[in-house]
Order: sequence, then structure tokens, then C-alpha cells
Amino acid sequence: MIRIQFSITLLAALLFISCATNSYAAVPPPRDLPKAEIIRLGERMYRNGTLPSGKVMEAYIRDDVEVDSSFFSCSSCHLRAGLGSFEGGVVTPPTTGTKLYKPYQRPPSMGDTVDQAGRFIYAKTVIERPAYTRETLAIAMRTGIDPAGQVFNDVMPRYLLSDSDMSILISYLETLSAEPSPGASSSEFRFATIISDDVSQEDRQALLMPLQRFIAQKNQQMGMYKDFIKFGYAPTAEMKYAFRNAHLDVWELKGAPETWQNQLAAYYNNKPVFAVLGGISNRDWRPVHDFCEAQRLPCLFPITDFPVVSETGWYTYYFNKGYGQEGEAVAHYLNRMDKLPAETQILQIIQDSPAGKALAAGFETGWKELERRPVKSVTLTASQLLDQMSLGKLLAKHKPGVLLLWTDAGLLQRLPKLIPKLGGPGMVFVSSSYLGEKTATIAETVRDKVYITYPYRLTPYVGPKTGGFDAKVPILASAKDFGDRRIASRSTTMLQQATLQGLNLIYDNLYRDHLIDVMSMQMDVVALDYERISFGPGQRYVSKGCYIIQLGPGTAPPLLPRSGWVIH
Amino acid sequence: MLIVSAASALAASTAHADARKYKRTVEKYNIPDITLINQDGKKVRLVSLLNSNQPVVVAFIYGTCTTICPVLSAGFVNLQNKLLTFGQQPRLISITIDPENDSPKVMKNYLKRYRAKPGWDFLTGSRSDIDKVMKAFNAYIPDKMSHYPLNMIRNPKNGTWVRLFGIMSSMELLEEYQSVAGK
Repeated sequence: MIRIQFSITLLAALLFISCATNSYAAVPPPRDLPKAEIIRLGERMYRNGTLPSGKVMEAYIRDDVEVDSSFFSCSSCHLRAGLGSFEGGVVTPPTTGTKLYKPYQRPPSMGDTVDQAGRFIYAKTVIERPAYTRETLAIAMRTGIDPAGQVFNDVMPRYLLSDSDMSILISYLETLSAEPSPGASSSEFRFATIISDDVSQEDRQALLMPLQRFIAQKNQQMGMYKDFIKFGYAPTAEMKYAFRNAHLDVWELKGAPETWQNQLAAYYNNKPVFAVLGGISNRDWRPVHDFCEAQRLPCLFPITDFPVVSETGWYTYYFNKGYGQEGEAVAHYLNRMDKLPAETQILQIIQDSPAGKALAAGFETGWKELERRPVKSVTLTASQLLDQMSLGKLLAKHKPGVLLLWTDAGLLQRLPKLIPKLGGPGMVFVSSSYLGEKTATIAETVRDKVYITYPYRLTPYVGPKTGGFDAKVPILASAKDFGDRRIASRSTTMLQQATLQGLNLIYDNLYRDHLIDVMSMQMDVVALDYERISFGPGQRYVSKGCYIIQLGPGTAPPLLPRSGWVIH
Repeated sequence: MLIVSAASALAASTAHADARKYKRTVEKYNIPDITLINQDGKKVRLVSLLNSNQPVVVAFIYGTCTTICPVLSAGFVNLQNKLLTFGQQPRLISITIDPENDSPKVMKNYLKRYRAKPGWDFLTGSRSDIDKVMKAFNAYIPDKMSHYPLNMIRNPKNGTWVRLFGIMSSMELLEEYQSVAGK
């Protein structure tokens, strides 16, 4: 990197002299590139920090801190929709052409006033500025000085961009979030939820009840708001963004998953929606996931044990990684067992079912990332699993010290006969999600040998501290929770804590990418079902934990944690 | 670019003329005797890591942070590179404030992205242990989104810490480090 030291103060002075005597250097749009190519190249610069040449964008912070875009890019702070962010006390302003070419006044921030706690003020950002032009925008990105001569916060890098690269980036910003997304208007949001035909009537109602109540509440609030206006009260500018009608479509998926994408497209083309609120299927969620990625359609917290586990998926928020997260937790737990001899044989017995395979895949992924040698795996059908003779032979052959039993509850009653066939230390791991309510029936004689994955809260939940109607009575996890899929409670969490918060925060910026962005910047939430759900740019599995537990004595056994919530 | 180039030549002599933009204090901290996990998945006893005979620089960050952490980590990169050219290998420690998400894998990828060299570790742990560390450094925040830019340099001679609050230039951080190192 070329070593150039800036003095922002001096640059500001020079720019004002330049301003007074000359016009700014022109930054015309690129003339030799088609518009689609400008957008492609500009988006690559904005999101990945890659110049049209393929090189990284170089910049300086605080005069001499060299940074390049392999560390972070424009979208890291201004986010994908370009509407900015608020993090660490710093307000990052919008960077879309629509916003840049108008005068701007940012929302108030704690950094605007003397910090009551005595913290050093580092977060000061420009409060108000006139409209940019392409030319003043180029100067701002290079020097950190806005059209009024105000200096940016130090966290904004000053970029070393050539005229042609700058022209492409500015042209891209002019297209960024230029058109509102379908499914939303100043007066209405249209949502959908997705239900596949393998879902029971009971589960379907558990999903729809909180969703329909949410929609009714939104519309009731709108009625109250209209009365408010009718009786002569003047609403504040922000109030109209908090009150919109809402409509919920139910997209029913029938038949083979291979046909789901066409069914979804038909629903969507008929009436586009702004976002998918929840949804439920007992099958792999991938067809829906892929459809939402292709349509750039937010899909918020579906109830699924088979989410798509991806580091690049953008538009679907999941509660967790489903069965995969439980398998992974076992890999991490075993890896942290200091007393487990390195030569201990680990055997996976995998029921030939989507759940069994997903648990095994989660374990194998986690185990591989820990750079451990692959374990022995045997896949058996439900009927093969009940063949006592062959199962006994299998265990005698491998003599595993650790048995990962990724099966349903069919084998549970036989555990007392199977466990003595294991080598030392004779541990068995099972999934509470797969076993369901039968988990509590594990024989007392072997409970000290059986370890259970449990991806839900164990510590008392006492409700939000803000008050309201939520119970303040501590809620404790117990054996009766094993069979509970928590459909209504999790959908309520989705609506109250995550989605509603996001919808309120987008104000009049009706862009789906912006909804995804603001949801990613939320503070952590202590939720009914999970110890903690946490957000962050790019984080799409909000509950990261899964306990390993054992059962205490009795028919309603206490749940005894053998690990922390998150096992690294 | 022309304006930048012209200004840079004139600016060289006044690059550090600005008033100090960060707050500097000297503090004493009682570090809890806890075990954290580094980017290689290895358990590390924090006290042992910090009780070094050379200065140790500590910062609280998280892997998916958008605003402050990239600047703090860019500061680490620059400090590490500068000191290496002087033949010094600084001890740099980033401690996560997002322990649920920042697994060894996330931390390893983060250090790779910043082209960190040996001597820079990234630590995670249980939520309760991370809270203890933040509290010990008088840097506790209940949520990662509320964090602020802090670098802390341990003086190996007397165990005190230079606490640096704010966005620092490379030269400022280098000078603070060398001051603690007695160079």
C-alpha cells in the first residue's frame, strides 16, 4: 500500500480554498459500461470491497491506520440496504443515492451530549448536512469531509479510489435501495406464512394462533390511530410508520417438496408479500429457503428441525441449526472431555430417517472442524434397529466406549441390555428432540450412562424486565417439556421480539434488505425457550446453545445439565 | 486523487498536530483466574497469558462487529506489523464480547482475514467468564451492541494497565506501547 499520511484539518482547509476558487472535479457516470455491469461492479465494491480490477480497496483511518477491504467493506457498517446502522454508540448514516442527494439530519444519539457516565466521547458523528453531489460525495469518500466542511467520525475510512472506480461506486449507490420492495406501502404490510401438508392440525393451529392475533392487533391499532386523527390530534412524523394495516396470506404447500418452489412462485406472483412470518414443516426447509434467497424475500424464523445450514444464506432467519445443532453439541462435548481416552471407540448408530441423518451430519461436521478422526457409522432402518441379535453383534464387533444413538424412542427400553455391551466409559448420547416425550422414560438404572441433547432453556425464565403482561413467575424446564415443540411460544418470540422490532425500526424505508439489516443489529434477547438469542451482521441462527443433560431419578426427573449452554 | 496527493505532501509534518483524541488513564485490575479458549480451541489460563514479561495489549471485540472492532483490529494489525519491523513481537489479545457466536472457528477465520501473525490471540469462553473479564477491566456491557473502543496495555514491570479509550492512530498506539515497553 502506498504510504500517504493525511492531515484532515489541512485537507479541509485545502478543500475550502479549492471550493472558493474552482468547481469540484467532475465525476461523470461511467460511459463505457452498460448499466448492469456498473451495478455488478459497484455491488462487488460495496459488499465485498473488491475493485473492478479484482484488487482490494485501500483506505486510512485516523491518518495512518492502514486498512483494506479484506478486513471490512462499505456494507459492513452501512449494511446491505445502505440505510446505515447504529452500533457501539456510532450512528452510521445512509449511503443510498436517494438519501445522499437530499439534505440529511440523523437521529439523535447518546454521543451528541456530554456522556452522563463520564465516558470519553468518541462516537460523535455529523448531525446535519446539505445534499451531496457526485463530486462532493467523491471528496467525502476520499477525505472524510462533507459538503459543509464537517469532518466524519474517525471510524469511517478515507478511501484511495481512482476516478473510474469512484464513478462506478457512486453510480451503484444511486441504484441502491432506489425502489421500495413489493408487499409494503405507506398504509399496509402484506405477509405470508408457509405450512406444508405433513403438519398436524394441532401444530398448524399452534403456529397460526399467534400470527393471526398479531395481524389482528396491528389492524386494531390502525383503527385506534384513525380515531386518534379523526378527533383532531396531530400525529408526530414517526407515528404513521408505527401504524399500518397488515394482511397475512397462508401459503399451503402440498405434495412432493420438488414441487414446492413452483407452488411458492404461484402464490408470490399472485400477491407478492413483504416477508414470510414463520411457517412450519416437518420436512427439509431447503426448497423454501432457496425460493426466498432467489426472491430476496425475508423468511423469519420458521419452525423447522431441518434448516439449511449455510454461512452465506441471507434471507432466512432460523432459531437454530435444528437437529444439526444437537449433533454438533455432542461433538464439542466429547472433544472437551479431558478424561476420555484418545483411543476410545465412538460408534454412531443412525436411524435411516431425515432426523437420524441430520443428527449424524451435525456431529460429523462439528467433529471434522475439531480436526478429529472420523468415527464409525452404521445406518439402520427402524426394523433393523429392533433386531436384537444383529444389534448385539454390531456392538460386540466395535465395542464402542461411546455410542451415539441417533434413533427415535423405539430403542429406549432396550438400553439397559445394550449399555453393558459397551466398552469403557460406556456413554450413550441421544437427542431429546428425536425421542420426544419418551425421553423421560429412560430406565433409571442407566440414567448415569445416558447423555441427552437439549437445545432449550434450563435456567428460570422470569419474563422481560420491562413489565407488561408477561408472567414474572420463574418458568423452569422439566421432563414434560421433552414432547413440546414450542410452536406457539417460539412464534410469539419471533413476532414480539424480533419481527415487530424490525418492522418498527424500518420507518419509511420499505426495503426487505433493510428489514434483514435492522434485525441483525438488534440487542440480544432473553427468550422463553432459549437461554439467549443473539444477533449480529450475517448471523442467521439466533440461538447458539444446546445443553448436554442427564436425567435425575423418578418419573418426572429433574434435568441435570452436564455442559454449559454453548460448548466451544 | 490529486487533491489527496497534494495535501499529503503538505500534511506530513503536521500529521500528529491534532489534539489527543483518546482518553488515557493508568489503572490496576484484578484479573479473575479463569480459563478461556483460543482460536485453536486450546484452553488458556487468562492470568498466565497476561502475566508476561513484555507488554500485553488487550481489546474487547466480536467477530461480526461492523463499526468499532474492525478499527480496533486494524490498529492491532498495524501495531503488530510496525513492531515486527523493529524486531519486537507484541502480545496482542482480543477477547470476544459475543461468546455464543465466536467459536474457535469464527475466531480463527477472523484472525486470518486480518492477516494476524503469531502473537495475536483471540479468546472466547462461557458467557459468565466473559462477563467476569469485562467487569475486571471495568468494561462490562450487558450487550455487545453497546460496546466502545478500548485498548489496554499491561506494564510488565508493575502490572498496571494503561487504559486507552477512543479511536487511536497507529502512531499513538505505537507510542503508548513503546512507552510501556520502556523503548
